[in-house]
Amino acid sequence: MLREAGRPRVDAVAKVTGRARYAADVHVAGQLEAGLLRSRRPHATVRSIDVAAARRLPGVHAVLTAAELGEMSWYDGQSSMLTDVARFTGDELAVVAAESHAIVDEALALLHVDDEPLGHVTDPFAALDPDAPLVHDGEQSNQLGDTDRYQRGDVDAALAVADVTVTATYTTPAQIHHALESHGAMAMWDGQMLTAYVSTQSIHDVRDGLAEALHLPVSRVRVITEHMGGGFGAKQVVWKPTVLAAVLATRTGRPVRLLLDRHGEALAAGHRNATRQTVRLGADADGRLVAIDADLLVGAGAYTVGGESSAVEGPYQYLYRCANVRTAKATVRTNHGPAVAFRAPGYVEGTFALESAIDELAVALAIDPIELRRRNLTNVDQVDDKPLSSPDALATCLRRAAETFGWDDGGDSDSDSDTDPGDNDAAARRRRGRGFAAHDWVGGKSHPPAFAHVALTPDGSVQVVTGTQDIGTGTRTVLAAVAADALGIDVERITVALGDTAHGLHAPVSAGSSTVPTMAPAVHAAAVEAHDALLDAAAEHLGVGVADVKWTGTTFHHPDGTAAELVDVLAAIEPRRIIGFGRAEDASADVSVRTFGAVCAEVVVDVDTGEITVVRVVCAPDCGRLINSLLAESQVIGGVTQGLGFALSEHEVIDHRLGIVLNANLEDYLVPTMADRCEIVHAAVNRPDEAANSLGNKGLGELPMIAVAPAIANAIYDAVGLRIRDLPITRRRLLDAVAAGATP
Amino acid sequence: MKPFTYQRPTSVDDACQQLGPSRVAYGGGTDLLPRIKAGLAAPSQLVDLKHTGLPDRIVDHGHCTQLGALTTLAAIERDTGLADRLSALPAAARQAATPQIRNRATIAGNLVQRPRCWYYRSEETDCWLKGGTGCPAREGRNEHHAIFDRDRPCVAVHPSDLAGVLVALDAIVHLHSNRGHRTMPIGELYTAPTDEHRAETTVRPDEFITEIEIVTRRPVVSSYRKAMDRAAWAFALVGVAVVATFDDDRLDDVRIVATGVANTPRRLTASEEILLADGVDERSIERAATAATVGSEPLSHNRYKQQLLTALTRDAMIEVTDRR
Repeated sequence: MLREAGRPRVDAVAKVTGRARYAADVHVAGQLEAGLLRSRRPHATVRSIDVAAARRLPGVHAVLTAAELGEMSWYDGQSSMLTDVARFTGDELAVVAAESHAIVDEALALLHVDDEPLGHVTDPFAALDPDAPLVHDGEQSNQLGDTDRYQRGDVDAALAVADVTVTATYTTPAQIHHALESHGAMAMWDGQMLTAYVSTQSIHDVRDGLAEALHLPVSRVRVITEHMGGGFGAKQVVWKPTVLAAVLATRTGRPVRLLLDRHGEALAAGHRNATRQTVRLGADADGRLVAIDADLLVGAGAYTVGGESSAVEGPYQYLYRCANVRTAKATVRTNHGPAVAFRAPGYVEGTFALESAIDELAVALAIDPIELRRRNLTNVDQVDDKPLSSPDALATCLRRAAETFGWDDGGDSDSDSDTDPGDNDAAARRRRGRGFAAHDWVGGKSHPPAFAHVALTPDGSVQVVTGTQDIGTGTRTVLAAVAADALGIDVERITVALGDTAHGLHAPVSAGSSTVPTMAPAVHAAAVEAHDALLDAAAEHLGVGVADVKWTGTTFHHPDGTAAELVDVLAAIEPRRIIGFGRAEDASADVSVRTFGAVCAEVVVDVDTGEITVVRVVCAPDCGRLINSLLAESQVIGGVTQGLGFALSEHEVIDHRLGIVLNANLEDYLVPTMADRCEIVHAAVNRPDEAANSLGNKGLGELPMIAVAPAIANAIYDAVGLRIRDLPITRRRLLDAVAAGATP
Repeated sequence: MKPFTYQRPTSVDDACQQLGPSRVAYGGGTDLLPRIKAGLAAPSQLVDLKHTGLPDRIVDHGHCTQLGALTTLAAIERDTGLADRLSALPAAARQAATPQIRNRATIAGNLVQRPRCWYYRSEETDCWLKGGTGCPAREGRNEHHAIFDRDRPCVAVHPSDLAGVLVALDAIVHLHSNRGHRTMPIGELYTAPTDEHRAETTVRPDEFITEIEIVTRRPVVSSYRKAMDRAAWAFALVGVAVVATFDDDRLDDVRIVATGVANTPRRLTASEEILLADGVDERSIERAATAATVGSEPLSHNRYKQQLLTALTRDAMIEVTDRR
């Protein structure tokens, strides 16, 4: 770890005092507000929208429908920016810009839509039925492309001779990101330059997308994201509100702010794909996996946005050593908003099913669930047939999680309790259980190209410049620490510039837990270059060899007792500053860089009321060398909490007959509250992955969420002997299982 | 949202003059304002009752407790006198909503809030309760809906936690209008909606609650148990309130009221009768808990509410028995 390992965020004070500026905070003179008219039907042809009354309303500056906007292809050609065929409840039909929110709302209410309902299908598990209405007229079926098939070995032969097999079907729901800050932007057009303050995980992708949509040179678009109130993957692509804010700004000549309301955020700004996964595992009597077979169905919604990368099949193919693996994934369209990446997309869903099935296998074999996993670890990437960059990382995660939890001691946080795990009285009403799950993840590695400048300025302060963005994870703090460490200068003297395309340095989208492994080595290289140039300058100033210069962070000392201050050295050179340049590193092509983790959970279940209390979660994620333990712990707390929601309370409630989402709000869509928190322990692994990059860094953001739901579901099984295979595990699901007598 | 005017009368009589069919009383606004924003209410005028001198506090007269209409849920939650004498009230307040909402929401508004049925609240559907023809919940997603009286035109449940406790306490509601003052047992405040009256309460459009009065001739032991799908900020899947009086250790009287199971708070008379006949012991409580679901008929997605109703009735009865 670095010297600054436990340092609080450099922007902590700005955030808690409200000075940190988010896209929603930007106000300039003459700014208009904007709002969207959404389809109230899941599938309909819009014959016309009467805009006359809305246009006449005082204070209205623009009313655009598909007709007025003109063709602006969207969703990769699958629809238009404003559509005259609505394919989900919430699809965007028109946009209004006006002097105030109140006028916008009034104008939207005056828009009269004449539409003709079409047949709809919102249930992904019914979308392939022969009589299901087609989401896109003219397509052969609702399946997107061909079934994605993977096979190694001979699964059927291996299953036929396996000593033990487990077969089960699991489902996971559409989970909504519900970031605190909604999607959107404030855009300004001065006739030459488009400037947009955007809530995004990728200022460069948004810049390119705006330029393309508005037919502007990329060089005349500037995108700024100073701070962002949560993205979780949903803000890694360009979304309609951002483009529409820019279109309205160019058409009205006024700055325009278009931010989604919570209803729009829930319906039309992405969600985790719903899945159904049928899993077959075969093992020998010692618990060695001989076959893994997974039949996967993924609901994509009406359109694809790019950046879904929902690799539900990933865990089946990579996590355990197994010679015979087969996955088949069908992705289907429904009359539902588009899915988009959500914190470890695909792996969160796939890991729930696989790690539940492994737990079922452990029960069938009567082998301790962690021991069963130990017997199936792999040190190679079996898909690409390469060694893992850190072959013992998952074993280390298993050990750290088990030790910290006290798994081998029974893992009981309350040993005097009458609800000890494994020692449950079958008649007891409140029963305690513990569960385990492991995971891997394709993300967490660097995504070059990316660049950094580190500039020592005449007064000795340091500016770090990059083209990345801080999406709330603490990128500013991390990069300042990396630069401080390499320069040997106090972090207080360092300012990190990011989140503005005007800085001119490229960086990739902040997604896939790639920001630290991409940007930290770039900043480190730039700082090292600046440091070396600085020492050269100091040696010359002191008139000695570089090897003799001792640098304290403020002063250069020569063994003979002479010394020079930093500012004096800088004053002596032209142009009184030193600039180092660095670039992101690629990992060696000979290894496969992946990340891993392990989670232990303890729960208490009341079989009479269905109440599930998560007592504690221990999470051991492998992110290579830790840079800041405080920020890492924040990521663990956040990821585990999002996992608690996925496990126990978060799901879209859809009436498939009507084709509408019934809980597109924060009242009925239940994200965990502070009262739902449990003890969350970060069992730090801190194992540098030197093959990933020279700093040994990997990313962390997504890892803590991945194995939480299966660990909790497995703990519930341990407590009450009920295997709940459908998420979330609500009181209704638990009590229905109790009533079905599935063995409490 | 349609524009409306805002009036701030400074006396109860002024407020009466200003109320009418589309001129509505405004207290904490924690239900009214979201309904206006969702287009479920379109008043022409809000009549703010907070400056009329309506009582806003809890007054303890020994055997009689008055809750002023403007008393906030937060005040009920924190009142030490209530915690001693009528502990189910602060227990119910504490489990309602969030601290921010409880600081704002009034007891009167809490009692007359509209159902949280997601079809009723949805911008995208019609429903009988908001003037339409059918009830989409009956054959739809009804996991939060009624398990009693499924033949009624609406299967939404009344969302108030405190209503159940006050019905169990047999509180008296004081109402005021131009036509004067009237009182009624709180049980009569609630009524199943009908074609002619698509509302859950008998409060008239020009009328408002001024006070809730709780008379307890003898000390009571009370409990409120609530099941939610997360630990806070959720309406009750099922809530059970019990108010009991004991003669030494012997049960003298008991009223058990469930919320989240019917259009209005529902007394569990079958359970009460078992306990009054047989007293309180482990077996009678178990039988009373089982009897809580007598007459219930779940919809397609809410059978689990029968299990909850039984479990919470048992838990509440055990609590009051242990604390007698």
